[in-house]
Amino acid sequence: MPYILQDILIIILASYATIDNQGITIMNYWPVTVGLFAGLIMGDLPTAMTIAGTFQLMSLGVAGLGGASVPDYGLATIVGIYLSARTGAGLGTAVAVGLPVGLLTIQLDVLIKIANNFIAHRAQAYAHAKEFNKMRLVNWIGPLFFALKNFIPMILIVTVGPSAISALLKVIPEWLTNGLTIAGSMLPVVGIGMLMHYMPLKKYIWVLMIGFVMSAYLNVPILGVAIIGLALAIYTYQNLINASKKNAVATANGADAADTEEEGDDYDE
Amino acid sequence: MSDVQAQTPQPTEPQHKLTKKERHSAILRYMFMGVNNFNYETQQGPSVVWSFSKVLRKIYPNDDDYVAALDNHFKYFNTTTAMGGMILGATLAMEEHDGIKSKDAVQALKTSLMGPFAGVGDTIIWILLPTIMGSIAGYMALQGNPLGAIIWLIVDMLLFWARIKLFDIGYDSGVKLVTTMANQLSAFTEAASVMGITVVGTLIATVVKVYTPLQFQFGKVKLAMQTGVLDKIMPALLPALVAWMVYKLLGSKKWTPNRVIVLILVIALVGSFFGILGVQPTK
Repeated sequence: MPYILQDILIIILASYATIDNQGITIMNYWPVTVGLFAGLIMGDLPTAMTIAGTFQLMSLGVAGLGGASVPDYGLATIVGIYLSARTGAGLGTAVAVGLPVGLLTIQLDVLIKIANNFIAHRAQAYAHAKEFNKMRLVNWIGPLFFALKNFIPMILIVTVGPSAISALLKVIPEWLTNGLTIAGSMLPVVGIGMLMHYMPLKKYIWVLMIGFVMSAYLNVPILGVAIIGLALAIYTYQNLINASKKNAVATANGADAADTEEEGDDYDE
Repeated sequence: MSDVQAQTPQPTEPQHKLTKKERHSAILRYMFMGVNNFNYETQQGPSVVWSFSKVLRKIYPNDDDYVAALDNHFKYFNTTTAMGGMILGATLAMEEHDGIKSKDAVQALKTSLMGPFAGVGDTIIWILLPTIMGSIAGYMALQGNPLGAIIWLIVDMLLFWARIKLFDIGYDSGVKLVTTMANQLSAFTEAASVMGITVVGTLIATVVKVYTPLQFQFGKVKLAMQTGVLDKIMPALLPALVAWMVYKLLGSKKWTPNRVIVLILVIALVGSFFGILGVQPTK
């Protein structure tokens, strides 16, 4: 594929990926799924998948829930794959350049969500004025903004990225690339830490221990652990349903059902 | 509210102002827009308006009713979009049946269900699925293998179908099922979390890698810190300690995830510079 066509396709991929992720979620924005397409565009699937896999593991558990802004690992993957294909830079460099780009675009994300507020008011004003087509049209600005969020950084990367990276690679010392690779293998811990806060960890610390021992001591593959997890989940679900049935019966009999209620309590925090 | 549930399943013509095709175009619009025009004030409100504006127009030919209905939907709404379809299916059935009279009930249903539905939806769609699929596909990808990514795309397509299905279920069975489901959802969410926590335990041991190349020299005897000491105490000891530290940091208001990421970058660079931390040799 000619370079210029690859450049155009990679920019379109990046711009579309964010809209897909926030809406239809067919391709979604996971490093491995966007990495698959980026690899096909750049013509080197195995290298692309290695970079994507690194970012995928790094991003485990990092979820932008309730409108929170989180590092853009999908964009980081596209940037890393593109630059690695253009400059021949290794995994460490791909991660080292991709990650900051992913971190910087968070600021844009916040700006867009603030700007969308004005659009929402504009749309409602159109509704009140009974200009319903305009009300619908103005809402296209939101997805357009989100596409631009990736379009702008990608234009910069495609135009000045490769030469800047090639120059940088000549001066960068070994401890620095090593340090970035180490950071890459430590960073999944952030997502894991976030996951532990989303979930009722205090109540189910024993489940965490089972999972840990399964892998650390027994080397069970992840799918095996997931099946054990599913078994524990079924057991928990049945217990909870039984408890709530008993609870319902107890309440119906006018008895005090306080202790079954207490059990469910600490999940909400 | 319950007579909606009793009457909607029969396709008696006067009840249905909307064809199946029109309803599906509404849910597809919602699936496309999702949080693409998300704002901090009303969050998914404008997205719901944009998606349902055409079907609502058909329900409310009168301009004033239509504007009132739109205003109702412009209000704050936020849930997992995959589950949101089910709520919106139920409210659409209510509006189709009762018209503008249902306004307050529609708002009440949306407000009371978006929380519990987000609880279970976020856990499954944005935590459980990406954690399990991500670690499987991620490890395959590290070897240059795209199979995991392809499987994930297939899963996404199944989800696409499931989201339309959930909307249909919400529309057909109406308010009652959706409300009773909400009670079971909390048990379901908690059970799903148990599965998630099991996987998290695995991730700490396998995905997080902290390796030290330090060596002790006792006369002629060399003792490698990692293989000779740490691994003997417990496998994945350092990752477990780092995970615990990060968990504690994230618990305090001052440490946002992004700050923790920067902190880890600094630790890794300083550790690499002084030779305290190293790249883990592949076994």
